Amino acid sequence: MVKKETEFLKKIKTKFKVEGKVQKERRIWLTIAKDKLIEICKWMKENGYVHLSAISVTDWLKDGNYEITYHLWSYDDKILVTIKTKISRNTPIIDSVTQIWGNNAQIHERELHELFGVNFEGNNDLFPLFLENWKGPAPFRKDFDWRDFVRKEFYNKKNERELVYYD
Amino acid sequence: MMVKRSEKAKTMRKVIKAIWIFNWFNSCGFAELVPLVGSRWDMERFGMIIVGTPRHADVLFIAGYQTHKSIERAKRVYEQMAEPRVVIALGSCTMTGGMYWDSYNTIKKLDDYLPVTMYIPGCPPRPEAVFEACEKIFQHVKELE
Repeated sequence: MVKKETEFLKKIKTKFKVEGKVQKERRIWLTIAKDKLIEICKWMKENGYVHLSAISVTDWLKDGNYEITYHLWSYDDKILVTIKTKISRNTPIIDSVTQIWGNNAQIHERELHELFGVNFEGNNDLFPLFLENWKGPAPFRKDFDWRDFVRKEFYNKKNERELVYYD
Repeated sequence: MMVKRSEKAKTMRKVIKAIWIFNWFNSCGFAELVPLVGSRWDMERFGMIIVGTPRHADVLFIAGYQTHKSIERAKRVYEQMAEPRVVIALGSCTMTGGMYWDSYNTIKKLDDYLPVTMYIPGCPPRPEAVFEACEKIFQHVKELE
């Protein structure tokens, strides 16, 4: 049932030192170190994983980590490989994969830079995507109290009509 | 047989012939005004037309949640309109921030940013309410003169 997935995972494991498992049919999860990212991604693209579906960030507040996830799809193998890597939450710096996937990666990295404050080294355009003149912290960080921010920014406690927003 | 028009309607017709509208809608905003375009409520019978550029428009319709990014564009649209100009804000979202009252990215009250002439409450406002607002525009312009 998951024969081609197991075979491909074996192929990666002989090449690189990674943790990984076959999650289910057509799904492979890989956990890698962040300094190996570019090397592995380059190899993945050479092996048919040309489609970078998405990049996402998970904020693990208690561990102090950002988990960055790359979803790669191969049109030949029909497997979705999920590459996960952890970086520090306080100094979120990681190599950009725009050198591999180009504009495909560009828009994702730009968004994540805006929402989580991740610095993608090597990406030359990290201009804000949606938030113009934004002065607050990166809004998708879990320690950002957006309700508190909105109360300070938009509402006035002395205004009787706006008291409901302070309950 | 001649159709008898009321005095009010006659004076209205003297003041303006038609209302030309420029739409500036975010999120579900346009869905609120779609019935007006259709045959049932058909706004063109009152001379209300949607124009392609703010420079031709008398009325600016704003609906939906304005974000920090879109309000800057809305201001620019407003600045291009010729006097006398009227801003009509549709729906509860433009008044209070509506469902996203605690969102960091949307503005809460439109009149902090643009001089709103009239608010039409409702989520969405009924087409009849929009017509009534447009009737009031005629009065408003008469007062301006």
